[in-house]
Amino acid sequence: MEPRINHLQIESQVHELLDYPVCTNQITSTIYQCSNDYTGEVNNDKENPYNCPYSGSKCTATGDTQWLLQHLRNDHHVEMHDGRSFSHRYVHHNPKHLHHATWMLTLLDCYGRQFCLYFEAFHLKKTPMYIAYMQFMGDEEEATSFSYTLEISGNGRKMTWQGVPRSIRDSHKTVRDSQDGLIITRKLALYFSADNSNSKELKLKISGCVWREH
Amino acid sequence: MDMDSMESSTRSVQNDEIHHNGTFHFSSTKSHGGGGAASPAVVTNIVGPTATSVYELLECPVCTCSMYPPIHQCHNGHTLCSTCKVRVHNRCPTCRQELGDIRCLALEKVAESLELPCKFYNLGCPEIFPYYSKLKHESLCNFRPYGCPYAGSECGVVGDIPFLVSHLRDDHKVDMHAGSTFNHRYVKSNPREVENATWMLTVFHCFGQYFCLHFEAFQLGMGPVYMAFLRFMGDEEEARSYSYSLEVGGSGRKLTWEGTPRSIRDSHRKVRDSNDGLIIQRNMALFFSGGDRKELKLRVTGKIWKEQHSPDSGLFMPNLSS
Repeated sequence: MEPRINHLQIESQVHELLDYPVCTNQITSTIYQCSNDYTGEVNNDKENPYNCPYSGSKCTATGDTQWLLQHLRNDHHVEMHDGRSFSHRYVHHNPKHLHHATWMLTLLDCYGRQFCLYFEAFHLKKTPMYIAYMQFMGDEEEATSFSYTLEISGNGRKMTWQGVPRSIRDSHKTVRDSQDGLIITRKLALYFSADNSNSKELKLKISGCVWREH
Repeated sequence: MDMDSMESSTRSVQNDEIHHNGTFHFSSTKSHGGGGAASPAVVTNIVGPTATSVYELLECPVCTCSMYPPIHQCHNGHTLCSTCKVRVHNRCPTCRQELGDIRCLALEKVAESLELPCKFYNLGCPEIFPYYSKLKHESLCNFRPYGCPYAGSECGVVGDIPFLVSHLRDDHKVDMHAGSTFNHRYVKSNPREVENATWMLTVFHCFGQYFCLHFEAFQLGMGPVYMAFLRFMGDEEEARSYSYSLEVGGSGRKLTWEGTPRSIRDSHRKVRDSNDGLIIQRNMALFFSGGDRKELKLRVTGKIWKEQHSPDSGLFMPNLSS
């Protein structure tokens, strides 16, 4: 049973903006030479499987990206969206009750690749914070060829983060603790959420997109 | 009414003109609708020269502040405010008799019907208030002078905007810039030494207005952070006609903030504590600084612009009903 995922609701609208045809089933392969002069092709994914990027539970599943996608969808019930743009609303009627680390994971499918979008509530030295960031389901080398933006707006203010997705070789906790994403205090998040109704509800609208740099 | 007996050394009375801590005068012909139809139990409002004498009676003999309920008196009838009563050790400061717990209810009731102009009448405020709501209005009066926006010290200087701009430039030696865009580098060789708040203020002059750009290093619960935000030298309503953006970046990452400048009516501390600006944790700021990441070399760029639409419509208001 997922511990805290019930507390957050996502209302998402996906904008499908595919600029050009997407190639599917691209498995990178490398040729390497070992000290014995034996050369061979290695399917990186199969030889060096990734850990399941679904954090929170102690899921120890490993596999290549294709297998992990099935696993995330079927076993962890993670939502998958097509397209490189997205727009989510994170709503919580009583944000003070969010536990130490509450988070949401959504998958994005674009450019023939998959990305993990994390949204998380946590405490940084007793200050409640929210962080959103993206990780690439693949190796770091390919991850650096992408960039992404995340934008929060509301109440006459807007904050935008532009970054490079980290590879899922880095655990989600590593990325979170390095604060490599869009990070705001809960106080500011509530300010973004403020409307005329005076409620202290969290109503964060986060939108963004991914693109390939080169 | 014979005013001579009310003279004090600091004031003089001439005809209908009353000088009181400065100058104001108000005519005694102010009438209240239906004054003649008021029931006998209601005292008609006190205006004109009488108002001043009653107002003076409401001044505490010890601290000279205006007295508010509960107003006390001694057996001989000398009045005292509740704050001072605590401090005089049960002795009337006027006649040295022992103080009881006698309340001067009559004076409190007379004050209810006292009406006085706002103390900022000479700066343009046309309003007149009952004694008990005057103070509240004066704390919010739009004509009241602005406080010096210089953060850090508690500079008590007040005045209008042109005066404060000169004051910032000449007395606080603040940098002045003409134009609506900026590109600053904040450099600190040992960023670990940020103990208390360290901050910088720059004033921008554009669109015929003045803006204060604050850059500050301080401790937020989560550790050391840097914050940059803009304040408008004027009132909140006018501040909403403007927007500004701030951007920091480096190493393939960029953080952008867009918002509405706060009025300098909101203190620097209040804006800072509301997190209403660009906030970066020190680690991220050092990351943006590049190099060995031990030195802070943060480049902050930004611009100010005037919103085309009406200030009320909120450019970035999300459609929360969808």
